[in-house]
Amino acid sequence: MAPAQRTGRARHRLILLTLVAITLLTVDLRGFEAARVAQGYVRDLLHPVNSLVSSIFSPVGDIWNSIFQYDDLEAENAELQQQLDALSGAAIQAEADNAAYRQLLDSLDLPYALDLETVAARVERGPVGNFASDVVTINKGNRHGLAEGMTVVTGAGLVGRVDRVDGVTSTVQLLSDPSLLVGVRLVSTNDVGLGHAVPGEPGVFIINQGPNWPQISEAELLPEIGSAVVTDADSRYTADVPIGRVIEVRPASDELSLEVLVQLANDVEDLAFVSVLITEQRDELPLLPVVPNTSVPLDLDPDLLNDPNSVEQGSDGEVSQ
Amino acid sequence: MSTLRSAALILVALVVQVTVFADVRISGVAPELLVLLAVMLGYWAGPRRGPTVAFVIGLLWDVYLPTPLGLSAIVFAMVAFAVGTGGAELFRDSRVQLAAIAAVGTFGAVAGYALLGEVMGQRGLVDLEMLRVALIAGLVNALLAPMTRALVAWVLGPAFGFSDAGDVR
Repeated sequence: MAPAQRTGRARHRLILLTLVAITLLTVDLRGFEAARVAQGYVRDLLHPVNSLVSSIFSPVGDIWNSIFQYDDLEAENAELQQQLDALSGAAIQAEADNAAYRQLLDSLDLPYALDLETVAARVERGPVGNFASDVVTINKGNRHGLAEGMTVVTGAGLVGRVDRVDGVTSTVQLLSDPSLLVGVRLVSTNDVGLGHAVPGEPGVFIINQGPNWPQISEAELLPEIGSAVVTDADSRYTADVPIGRVIEVRPASDELSLEVLVQLANDVEDLAFVSVLITEQRDELPLLPVVPNTSVPLDLDPDLLNDPNSVEQGSDGEVSQ
Repeated sequence: MSTLRSAALILVALVVQVTVFADVRISGVAPELLVLLAVMLGYWAGPRRGPTVAFVIGLLWDVYLPTPLGLSAIVFAMVAFAVGTGGAELFRDSRVQLAAIAAVGTFGAVAGYALLGEVMGQRGLVDLEMLRVALIAGLVNALLAPMTRALVAWVLGPAFGFSDAGDVR
């Protein structure tokens, strides 16, 4: 066969493959259920092999990380020791704070104090590949009662939400993903806002918009440094799950509104076990008015505001979380 | 080309990629073993069969990625086609050449995946970090490429010019 003829057939085959890929992309992007189920079956089918290989090669990963991340581990140890010292010194203060917080919860009739049904799960692995750094896979799936959108927590607070559920495993979108918007409530002022992780700054969360969000001239209405931030009752998450503590209140880049920086309570980059709150998820949430001159961070994709799963913007300028 | 051997090699590579390389990273970058396999099969099997196998590899990888199904498949197939077409004009007995092809192919696949992902509505894939990831993954695969020669020879067999020892006839 002539080389030109061979190349021609190869091109035809490539065109055919491209058409198949475009069809699959279209089907998947449109949320065709059968495609998702088929992918779930493949993952479930390979799960026993993956688990076995994971457990066999886990020491290899540990050794690798201990060799090449020794400096990081040393720094982390030093930081943990510092935190331990600080915690020891502040034990009494923490107890008092806790009592005050419980009193506040009681007075507001907040459901976080109630016993919720939970499913404990082990983090099987971190992100696979190089372009999905803010997800983890846990060893519980729909056979254990998990469903998409459920809140994932640890004792410290919010971790993220269940993103993809298979039979025996699930993928959790972590709070460190800047595209994950969370409706929050500032406990000290009872203000409600919308926040997300800060890109490139692990452990930092920013709140910069919300109904009746204070202007730059109303700084006295914003929370004090160190005050608690929890999930809002009207958000997609179980109400009053701790998120973190306020570390900074500063003017936004537009110099008109203010933004609140929060140190996340959880270190989502180093998780071993989590709990999934088995709660019914709300599809539609009440509308909340947004302050007209609220700033949207430059790094936040405006399309997210039109995402029906995160924020919906109505024609009258209102959005829902 | 043996279908059973191809399937076995692809599944082993997939399991290693999903499990071992979820932890073992070089400067935070996971080696792109599946890309390497797609590039090498494209190079040795040629532009006709290489892209088909690369497509299957990409499709299986897509099952584990958060991006839409078919994204890696189309990128892997195109890279395999490009490498297979270009490879026909080159000698096949130089390790340096093989490493260079693996590096360029991997860089193209990683960058292509990110670019096409952005086109398909995935955010935050194209930035300086993407360039760093593509460069490191390319370098790692350049080092690994000579080691894959025996495996590819095992899959393709004598019909593609390999002797039993993995040497090119």
